[in-house]
Amino acid sequence: MSDKDDIETEATPTLENVDSELAKNSESVDQSAKPESKPEPVVSTRKRPESKPSSDLETSEVLPVEASQAAGKETVSKDEPQTGWGYWGSWGKSLLSSASATVATVGQGISNVIEKAETSLGIPSPSEISTEVQYATGETNAKENENSLMTGPFGVFSTISTAVHSTGKSVISGGLDALEFIGKKTMDVIAEGDPGFKRTKGLMNRNSTLSQVLREAKEKEEQWTSDEATTDADKKTHYGLLFDEFQGLSHLEALEMLSQESEIKVKSVLNSLSGEELETLKLELEQLKEAFSLAEFCEEEEEEEKGDEDFTKEITELFSQLHVSSKPEKLARARNTAYEWIRTSLAKPLEEKEEGENQLEGEKTEQINKNSIEDIHAFAIRSLAELTACSIELFHKTAALVLHGQKQEVTAIERSRTLSQMTLVLCKELSCLSKEFTTYLTTAGASNSASYIQDAFQLLLPVLEISLIENKTESPEA
Amino acid sequence: MEAIWLYQFRLIVIGDSTVGKSCLIRRFTEGRFAQVSDPTVGVDFFSRLVEIEPGKRIKLQIWDTAGQERFRSITRAYYRNSVGGLLLFDITNRRSFQNVHEWLEETKVHVQPYQIVFVLVGHKCDLDTQRQVTRHEAEKLAAAYGMKYIETSARDAINVEKAFTDLTRDIYELVKRGDITIQEGWEGVKSGFVPNVVHSSEEVVKSDRRCLC
Repeated sequence: MSDKDDIETEATPTLENVDSELAKNSESVDQSAKPESKPEPVVSTRKRPESKPSSDLETSEVLPVEASQAAGKETVSKDEPQTGWGYWGSWGKSLLSSASATVATVGQGISNVIEKAETSLGIPSPSEISTEVQYATGETNAKENENSLMTGPFGVFSTISTAVHSTGKSVISGGLDALEFIGKKTMDVIAEGDPGFKRTKGLMNRNSTLSQVLREAKEKEEQWTSDEATTDADKKTHYGLLFDEFQGLSHLEALEMLSQESEIKVKSVLNSLSGEELETLKLELEQLKEAFSLAEFCEEEEEEEKGDEDFTKEITELFSQLHVSSKPEKLARARNTAYEWIRTSLAKPLEEKEEGENQLEGEKTEQINKNSIEDIHAFAIRSLAELTACSIELFHKTAALVLHGQKQEVTAIERSRTLSQMTLVLCKELSCLSKEFTTYLTTAGASNSASYIQDAFQLLLPVLEISLIENKTESPEA
Repeated sequence: MEAIWLYQFRLIVIGDSTVGKSCLIRRFTEGRFAQVSDPTVGVDFFSRLVEIEPGKRIKLQIWDTAGQERFRSITRAYYRNSVGGLLLFDITNRRSFQNVHEWLEETKVHVQPYQIVFVLVGHKCDLDTQRQVTRHEAEKLAAAYGMKYIETSARDAINVEKAFTDLTRDIYELVKRGDITIQEGWEGVKSGFVPNVVHSSEEVVKSDRRCLC
């Protein structure tokens, strides 16, 4: 199709997995389809035209962070882990593609755009779920839904927390049932936004856990990806596969295991008690549950930008309050790397790059701009996936330590409150990060991230319940 | 294209606390050695592709388990879904070698009805001067249990690749011969994806569109 096939990262950024309806709507997104038509592709440059200059060279230096550090004594080790990055599928990607298609047709202020994109990803009422086909066709539907649905960039999130609230009572007796529900909701959302993903929708009718659903969806995605032999560049932008590469799915699965075990134990304890003892315990568990209902996460009006130290400090502080020995360093590092990358690649003035590229002109310069835009897109998705995976890992480790760590002078309730707080901080952080990438990225990634984190958080409830019970039996005065 | 792998194997790495399980895995998956590392909490997860024959790749999912006794109830849950395992001891720590037997007994109980192909790994072989376990006795023990024996060093990157790839090859042979089969409800071995042969970029585009309806 193009004579520039040799430039790897230049691959068509979108649409392999978006249905043709959508493709029509979003021609403007498909930058490389007609490289000459416009100097500035609509989506990519509208909001941040000044950010063109990131060079090909520079980004390729930054992207393989791990790999560059990984140069070890064993030559194979140096290469192989990177090949591991080769197989992103396309669901996250197509999810974003469809979302950005919506963005492309909207073309208003940033916040409007976000809302629209969000709305189209938001969870419609059950009757609206059936209109999913129209969904992909663009904004009409989004407009219709706009008022009835939540606002703010965390549409998915608020719906999910609503789900948590509305099933609040049943969470109490069966946390996992509620989680199933949330998980399925999440999948609905993903399917809504991603026509390709619809193919896996059948999964949701089954009685499976969130991680299973995610894993199967991801595996299907891998299958299509290899079938269709899409390019590496494509694969770099698939949220789901990236999330798995950062071991997010494995940690989620591990957390689910601990959660289920705890839940079974809690149930058996409750069954073995009666009378006053039972009432007292129920009351205490009730309090625990309250701490687990998330505070409303509303978007702060233009919250002041936090420095690296602030986030690191906040999350470290919260962790020390948990009294688990695991530390959030990895998370903070991933987060700071992301911001550092944004700073260096987006904020760099044109001049700095010129020395290396003076000889490049016209078409080629344009090429570089495009590449860098795709790189930003890829990097944004990658960052969100990494941060989310790190967050899930922390929750998993927290569960393991609450259950099997050394005894600590902290109550389950205190821990629950801290965890609730932490969930908010993490979601907020992801929202901030995603805003940083807004021009190139809809909030789709952030929405998924937020819902994964919150699901993981809810999985901790049974863990803390059993920890409360165990503490009680050890210290009768509690 | 690197994306394609024939099979996915889940491997578990076990052994006493501080024998160097995490360091070995990090060397293998990240190519570096961390001087200091915190004890593993519960389980950790890593993955890497290994090319066992030209063009034939296996994806390894590696489960790093905590050696500490208090996490045993967590780590036990992972035996069942592993097809292979590295059982580590520290050649400078006799105790860790003596515990090999116990580790094998423990897995035997929890892996039922499946089986794990184990390799015995004498780790920290760079510290030869502090050696408390001879190669000979380790080989003897391994043979008694039908395992291979290999000595490795994460710090000096000795035999790390070999330990993992040899095990992977052995498992691959068993899978090829049908001694190990993919089973519903068991995650030890999963089939990978073999790509359709695509000849031109036009075809790619066409097939994309078609699939999407």
